[in-house]
Order: sequence, then structure tokens, then C-alpha cells
Amino acid sequence: MMDAERNIWVFGDYRNYFQNRVTLQLLSRAADLAPKINARVGAVILGSHINEYVNEYIAHGAQKVYLIDHPSLARYSIETYTTLIEGLARKYLPDIVLVGATSFGRELAPRLAKRLDTGLTADCIRLDINADGLLEQTAPSFGGNLLARIVTPVSRPQMATVRPGSFQEIPHDSSRQGMVICEPMPKKLPKERMRLINYERKPPRGQRIEEARVVVCGGRGMGSKNKFRKLYELAQLLGGEVGATRPVVYSGWADPEALVGQAGKQIKPQVLFSFGISGAIQHTAGFNNAGLVIAVNKNPNATMMKIADVAIVADANQFCSSLIKELKKRIRN
Amino acid sequence: MDFNPKMKHNAVRKTVRRFAESELGPIAHDIDRDARFPLEVIEKMRPLNFFGLQLPKKYGGAELDTTSYAITIEEISRVCAGVGLCVTVHNSVGAFPIERFGTPGQKERFLPHLASGEYIGAFCLTEANAGSDAGGVETTAVRDGDEYVINGTKIFVTNGGVCGTALIFAVTDPENLRNAASVFVVEKGTPGFSVGEIEDLCGMRSNPVSSLFFEDCRVPADNLLGRLGDGLKIGLIALDTGRIGIAAQALGIAQAAFEASVKYSKERQQFRKPLSSFQTIQNYLADMATEIDAARLLLYRACALKDAAKPFSAEAAMAKLYCSTIASRITNLAVQIHGGYGYSKEYDVERYFRDAKVTEIYEGTSEVQRMVISRAVLSKLT
Amino acid sequence: MINLVVCIKQVPMVSELPWDAHTGTLKRELAEGMMNPACGHALEAALQIKEKHGAHITAVTMGPPMAEEVLREAIALGADRGILLTDPRMAGADTFVTSYILARAIEKICPNFDLIFCGCQTSDSETAQVGPQLSEELDIPGAANVEKLDLTGRSLRIQRLSDNFLETLEFDLPGLITLTTQHYEPRHVSLSGMQQAFEFGEIVTLTAADLGLDPEFKSAKNSPTRILDVFSPVAQNKNIVMKGAPKKIVEQLFLKFDDKIGGAIGKDLKEKT
Repeated sequence: MMDAERNIWVFGDYRNYFQNRVTLQLLSRAADLAPKINARVGAVILGSHINEYVNEYIAHGAQKVYLIDHPSLARYSIETYTTLIEGLARKYLPDIVLVGATSFGRELAPRLAKRLDTGLTADCIRLDINADGLLEQTAPSFGGNLLARIVTPVSRPQMATVRPGSFQEIPHDSSRQGMVICEPMPKKLPKERMRLINYERKPPRGQRIEEARVVVCGGRGMGSKNKFRKLYELAQLLGGEVGATRPVVYSGWADPEALVGQAGKQIKPQVLFSFGISGAIQHTAGFNNAGLVIAVNKNPNATMMKIADVAIVADANQFCSSLIKELKKRIRN
Repeated sequence: MDFNPKMKHNAVRKTVRRFAESELGPIAHDIDRDARFPLEVIEKMRPLNFFGLQLPKKYGGAELDTTSYAITIEEISRVCAGVGLCVTVHNSVGAFPIERFGTPGQKERFLPHLASGEYIGAFCLTEANAGSDAGGVETTAVRDGDEYVINGTKIFVTNGGVCGTALIFAVTDPENLRNAASVFVVEKGTPGFSVGEIEDLCGMRSNPVSSLFFEDCRVPADNLLGRLGDGLKIGLIALDTGRIGIAAQALGIAQAAFEASVKYSKERQQFRKPLSSFQTIQNYLADMATEIDAARLLLYRACALKDAAKPFSAEAAMAKLYCSTIASRITNLAVQIHGGYGYSKEYDVERYFRDAKVTEIYEGTSEVQRMVISRAVLSKLT
Repeated sequence: MINLVVCIKQVPMVSELPWDAHTGTLKRELAEGMMNPACGHALEAALQIKEKHGAHITAVTMGPPMAEEVLREAIALGADRGILLTDPRMAGADTFVTSYILARAIEKICPNFDLIFCGCQTSDSETAQVGPQLSEELDIPGAANVEKLDLTGRSLRIQRLSDNFLETLEFDLPGLITLTTQHYEPRHVSLSGMQQAFEFGEIVTLTAADLGLDPEFKSAKNSPTRILDVFSPVAQNKNIVMKGAPKKIVEQLFLKFDDKIGGAIGKDLKEKT
């Protein structure tokens, strides 16, 4: 039984809901793409007592929600989830299936693609519909040094996992309407071969600056050793690490371990804050692979301000304090 | 003529490079500054056969071919020339002469300890008044019953501070001009054998180069290597092999300086353009690349000859002469390309610059290499 | 004695990627290859099982003839033999087809395998898909992103971090795991091991025909995905300039980049409470 219209499915990955917004980002992107191929946006969600997520997904743009609600689905399980979604996909034949590139999504999607005899593109950062009406998927390789554009011309569905943060979510709108399609739990499921022994939240491990997702770099423009210390507070609030320039390390404001650049560490954070740094090549060569670069400097003509994605003209030290204040406020809320 | 590296040689290069970059890379700068021999890394190198590169398997060696040996030294030296020096001297002039000239009993006694790296080998020819001029050796060994009594001082001994065995050149027959000297194996801990202060050198600072003192040092007569009076012969053959190692070491230093220059010239901006966009810098880099390639081909040819059991003395001298010459030139140019930063201890090129110089001096100066080469050139009948 | 299979990919050394600036393409054939880092950790985990329990290790790779090098390296480290799957017909495989070929090879050469090890992902294409897809092909339990493992009899207990949850899972052999680079730091290759591996190492080379694949089978044709092109990302430097009162700028910053900055805050908050 095929739906009258085509469908773009988004896997409803609600674990860590407050941190993991990738499902909402995908719903948003699917809503952009759907009109181009005359499709509707559907979310697929499995679990136990998950009505709140059904409503959330509709409020964020899902036009349909395919739901299997059953006590035995209270915890994510790769084998059962693969089997159930395979069943749904065989029944409704979606044109496109998008999965957030979370740990679970990146394990689920390849299995699902294998079962459905179709292609899958990993960790995409861009999705478009091309002139042939195909999903054009852009995926990084070689640590982001290269991008590849990939399509799945024949087999269906076209499948992609998508890197969190690649798209903006649509703001929550509780007036949005959507259809909920409740699917029964199949009576017979293959026995789970994987036994879950233990399951706990893990505090983030002490990370090395080279692997940090957020790095806060400071230069002499911070003013003094005391003021430089604020960066550590900021980094902690952002779940990141502190980096430093050569003059700062030489002045003893930061440990040599924190030195970023040719003579120090090569970093590749998704977000790099740069406070009071002029931008000598000896420093900037250390973050060629950084994502969003936000520079704060009094001097709008500093090299660092030219190469940044966002250049904030302000006193580095003052701005740092404002940012800390704002972050604390947000955490309290 | 096959210029394609064998898969094994590529594999050896990557293996050694990974080891050197991960274990020596992070400390190379500091051990140079502090003149510290990194025993903790040496400890890791032992089970990986770095101290038995070409020794037979039955003694615990890896039995590598000479090209693999040269690649190993090149790759260690690319990261840390001081440790590269330790490894090449140990293998070429510290252990190889025992394998080549030792009696079965001597091999059984010494080679397993050397192959495992438990003993680090040293080779002692140079004295205050003798270097490449082996005739000037003043250390003496006098027979007394079943023993020889050695007296004298050796200087600038690579690995001297940590050696487990030292091959000592000592005069046994002062009257015999050609066969005056003989070679003895002296083990550490032998009474009368002591180690002097570690030298404070310009480069190769992580190697414990030191003087060795022999005061009525008694060794069993059985420690005589080869026959009495074989000193010169053993020395010359050992040094032929040693030259391959020093050439490889110089090549590794040159390679490191070249890579640093390429990287820096692409990153450093002047006049709003990267350095690499200036023709002068491009010419420098082109010359460096050409010289390194030429040096490498000369070196690997000497290795191939040695493995084919053909004469390679002049070819090894050419490789050593050329590799060390270009190492000095290229490291000098690398400092120039780096400008003020290149002259700073913060960047590695100044270390390469200091390390490269001595490759033109030890195991036969460039002038001595030219002597060896010209002798071969002029020895033809017509 | 149990039979372990380690799947290894030879990947180009990123430091030496020859890049044609004029055409904007990668001259991949000119790059020196190396063992994919995560595969090195997978091999190390297998070697530790061999040391502890005794095991026979088969290393498998698919690639051009020069991929033999990573098998020699695996043998130098302690693998017992290497299987090289090489054939022009196998070239151009996506993960769907790669896992298909690997599965056929394992069924043929090592049908009584107990545990398959893969790296969690490769440093070149970074898909992390071959391991999970191989477990589907062979219809065996599989766990991705394993950090620690413990084998007791025929029961394997593994630990992994999955979306900030620390999971302990258990399954009975046969099975498959993919290893992260968090633990099992690969040992160094000894030079005598390397010499021995090149002198005496057992390498079996298999073609598509040897595996009994369909005569019409070609990876490039059978792969469901197609790569349209590969390019170097242009610097997407938007260079937005913000001025004014710090408080106002901070607000703007969150408005524009909350997904990037805000995500981290939530995480921090959650895990502290």
C-alpha cells in the first residue's frame, strides 16, 4: 500500500532531546525540500509513552507522524528498531529517509539501508533536490578537507545521515496540525541477540584541546593574567577548552600546553572563539580546520577579524564578561 | 635499473616514521635543549629491533637489508638526529665489526646483548692526536699472560656515556707501521675503564658523546677482535658501513628541514602573499628537492651495492660526502626561509642547522671522503 | 581456538594528499597508503585476545594490489595470515557493495569465524557504515563504536559510549564489533616482525571470480550510490561584523548561532545535574 503522495521521512531520534536537536533540524530541511518533489514530511518515532515528542515534531513541521508506542520500546535497541522501521518502510515506501548522525543514527541507518537494498550517504552537511529530482547529498571526507556530492539514482528510499547543526530548526508552533499514524507492534519479532547489561549517563571526559568541540583562544588583548582567567570560566560554560597565542604563553598567562599554532597545537573545533588576538600566521595556522570562527577585538582591521566568520568589534575582556553573564542566565533557565 | 621502492622499503619507512613521530617527536626539542639521552624511548626501541637492524636472526637481529637500514636511520634522524646517531653508530660500527670479524665465541658473548639493545655499542678511534689518521693512535694494549692491559684516552665517543661495549683501537705493535693497531672489545664495568663528562656540543646534543678513559684496564686476550694488527683493516671496513649510516642521518635532517620550509613558506604571508608565491623561495625549494633526491639515489645505490656484496667503499664515501654537504646547505637555507623565526629556538630548523654541520665532520670529514673517492678515481690503470 | 577476522582498509596518508589545484581533484593514486587508524585499534584488540586466550587471526582487506602492504603490517604485528581482495571489478565500491564483498570473502575463506573486528570508521570516506552493514550481511549481532571488550567463553561483553550514554552490552559469538580509537592503542611494529612478514607472511589473493560473484558483478555498477563530484570546500567566510553594546551583541550571537553555541550549554547543564 503506497501513500498517494511521496514522503520524506525523518527518524525521530528523541534520546537526549534537549541537546540533540538534529531531528528538528531535519524536519525543517525536509519541509524545505518536500514541495520540490511534491512530498509530505513524516516523522517516524518508536518508543513507550512518547506522545510529547509526537506533538513536538508536529509543532516543528512534521505533517505526519508514524508511531509505534509499546512498553518494550522504552529503550533504544538497534536490532528491534531496525526491524520495525524496515517494516514501516516496506509498507509505506518513503522516497527519502533522513537520520540524524548521532551514534545511534549512524548505526541504525546503515543496517536499515542494507535491509532495504538501498544506498546511504554518511554524515551529510547539505541536502538539496537536483534537476533530476534526486536528493543531492553533500558529505565531507578526509576530515572535512574534501566534500563529495552523492546521489542514489535508482534504489529507494534515498537515505542519508545528517550531521547535527547542519540546518536551522523551524521555531516551535503548537498551532501546526499533523496526522498521527499509529502502527501496531508486530506480534512476532526476532529475538534480541544483544543484551543490554548497563546503561548510564556519562559525564563528558576530560578532553584534549585538539579534540575539543569548542575552543576559547585568548591573546594579549585580554589585558592581564587575571583577566585572561575569565576565559577558563567561559570555556567551562561552553564545554570547551582554552587555547592561547605565543605572547600569552610567554607572559605566563597560560600553560605552554595551551599554545595554538605552528609551534603548538593544531585544533579543529566546531566553534572557535578568539579574544584579543591580532591573527599572526604563527597562530592562525593552528586552526585551518575550525568550523565557526568568532573573533572579538577592539581593532576591526586586525587580521583575525578579517578571517573570522563573525567579527565582533569590542573590548575582548568586557565582551567575555558579558558572554559569561548571558550563558549563566541561560543555564539557570 | 629499478627506481621504484619495494613495498617492504615503504613499509619500513612508514613504520619507523610513525615510531619516531609519536615517541621522539614530542621530546626532540627538549632533549636537544637539555642535552638529555632519552632512555625511556631507547627502552621502547629495544624490543622493536632498532639495535639489531642487520644482525642475524639467531642472535635476535632483524636481518634487514642495507636499504632498509638506511631508511630506518633516515626516518629516526628526520625527527631526532641525536637518537638517529645512537642507532646508526651502534649498528654500523658498534655491532657490525663483531659480527664480521668476531670468533663464534665472541659472537655468542656479545651479539645477543647488542641485538637486544641491552648493550649499546661504541666505537673508539679518535684521540687527541688521532682521527682519520689512525696511525696517530697513542692508546696502547700490552699483553700480560691471558690478558691485555689497555692504557689511553679516547675522545668524542658517540654513545660513550651509555655504552655497554666499546671497540677500542689500541697500538699493540708500535714498530709495525702498517699493522700497529688492534681492536679490543671492552665491556662496561671492566676495572680501569671509566667514562668522562658528556661533551657540550653544538648539535646532536641528545647523544651522550663523551671521553672514555683506560687506566691499566685489563681485558681477556679473548676480547681481541680479528687478529693482532688487524686494527686498520677492521677500522676501514667498519667505517665504510658507518658512512652509509651517517649519509642516511644527514639525509633525514635535510628532509626534515625541507618539509619545514615547504610548510612554512605556504603559511607565512609577506606583502600579502604566501612566501611560496615568490620566485626566489620557489627556486630555493626546487633546489632543495633536487638535491635531496640526488642524495637519496646516491645513498640507495651504495646500499644496493653492499647488499649485492660488491665493492661499495667509494660509493659510500660519495653518498656520505654529498648527503652531508646538502644537509648543511639545506638546513642553512631552511633557517633563511624561516627568517627571524628560523633563528629562534622555538622552531626546529635551528636544531636541524646545528645537527647537520657535524655530519660533514664525523666518521671521516668531507675532506677525507674526497680522499677516498679520489683514490678510487685515480686507481684506474689508464 | 577461536577464529578472529580483522577487516582493514588502506587509506591515503592525509599529510601527503596530492591535490591538483587546477582541476580541483584528488590524485588519490599518487598518495602513499597507510593502515586506517581505527583499523589499527581493531587489530590491537584482536591481538590482545590472541595473547590472552589464543586465537587465529585473519586480516582481510579489499583494495588495489598495493593494499597488500597493510596485510604485511598486520602480519608483522601478529596476524596469522592476510586475505587480499583485489580485482578491477571490485573498484568503486560504496559501503553497500564493500560489505557485500567482505561478507562473501569471509564466508568463503573463514566460514567458521567467531568474531569480526572493524575500525569504527575510515579516515578517508568517514562513513562508519561498513561494519554495521557487514553484520547485516552475515546476519550476526554487531555493535559499533566499541571502546572496551571482555571475552568470557563464547560471550562477549562490550562497553561503548553512545550519544553520551555509557552502555554495557553482551552477546554470544559469532558477532561483529567496530572499534573506536579511544582504547587499544596500536603497538609499534617491530623491524624483525616486518622483515619476517615480507619473507614468510601468508597472503591469499582473491578476485571477484574466486569469490564466485556474478560474472556481471561490478562494484561501480552495483553500488546504489553515485559520487557526482569531489571538491575542496570553499572558505565559507561570511565575515559578519557586529558592533555596539556587548549585551546586544551577545543577544544577536545567540539568535544567529544558538544551535552551535547553545548545544554545548545544554549538554553541560544536563550532565552536571
